[in-house]
Amino acid sequence: MTVTFSTPTLETERLILRAPALTDFDVLADFYASPRAEFVGGPQSRELSWRNLALEAGHWVLRGFGRWTLVEKTTQNPVGIVGLWHPEGFPENELGWDLFDGATGKGYATEAAIAARHYAYDTLGWTTLTSLIAIGNDGSRRVAERLGATYDSDFTHERFGPMQLWRHPGPEALT
Amino acid sequence: MITLTNTPTLTTERLTLRAPQPQDAPTFIEFYKTDRAQYVGGPKDDKRGWEFFCTEIGHWVMRGYGMFVVTYQGDDTPLGIVGHWNPKTWPEQEVGWVIFEPAIEGKGIAFEAAKAVIDYTWTTLKWATIVSYIAYPNTRSIALAERLGAVRDEDAETPGTAYVYRHPRPTA
Repeated sequence: MTVTFSTPTLETERLILRAPALTDFDVLADFYASPRAEFVGGPQSRELSWRNLALEAGHWVLRGFGRWTLVEKTTQNPVGIVGLWHPEGFPENELGWDLFDGATGKGYATEAAIAARHYAYDTLGWTTLTSLIAIGNDGSRRVAERLGATYDSDFTHERFGPMQLWRHPGPEALT
Repeated sequence: MITLTNTPTLTTERLTLRAPQPQDAPTFIEFYKTDRAQYVGGPKDDKRGWEFFCTEIGHWVMRGYGMFVVTYQGDDTPLGIVGHWNPKTWPEQEVGWVIFEPAIEGKGIAFEAAKAVIDYTWTTLKWATIVSYIAYPNTRSIALAERLGAVRDEDAETPGTAYVYRHPRPTA
């Protein structure tokens, strides 16, 4: 008996966006162990990273949406996690992005976030979308700017610290 | 709706064991807010409890097996969770048990559920070994492990500060 998990898959020019899977663990754990994870609760142990990976999958079941693992078409490697996120304690539905080591500087976060945002507006029928960006996470802020989002308000996350809530253009503004 | 499907259901004399579903979240989160959760990673506030419930469901996605929600037959109220737990970082595959409410204790529910899971593990999943990791000094849990025939293995590696109880493989 094989357990099945009915998540949607998206495709962009260079990426496949699919559900998180066990095969993503090592690269995810490396990311969460690195200084680059400082804005998303890291650096943290492999044990906690495993729980985070399972949490990514469980979020889909509890919320009906979640984040996708980005698979680079040319290499088939997982290069990041991007998608729709709303754990308990978040102020609104979020569009979030984390790129694994070596995957930055290629526009992957922006490319995947555009696809995820279209899915939120066109398939889920959402009317607005936010992104939480930790103070000092300039790379993430630049992605938000490229996506046309603008600063909305301040938010303090109990583990991630002081953050800014950025708001994306709504579905009308993107058509 | 995103669902987890094709998960097994076990039945015992009194109980049904099924995969966790979103409607179980409030009971799970309430349990984790109490001191009763002190030996199983708690207490946790609402937010961490919600995340950990996601992890429980996600474990099924990652491994194809996980913790079952235990209910009485014909009544879907969650009584506890009993089943398989195996983060990729753990030394061995575990069978674990949690009963949510004190009022449910003393009825042999955890024993009946754990016995069914262990039988299923040997006969269907065909694991080579089964252990239970029990945080010191969770004496009720130790008593249950011993009642199930498990024996403390002082040489086994642990994922944290816990006793390792090893379940005997049934003789053919």
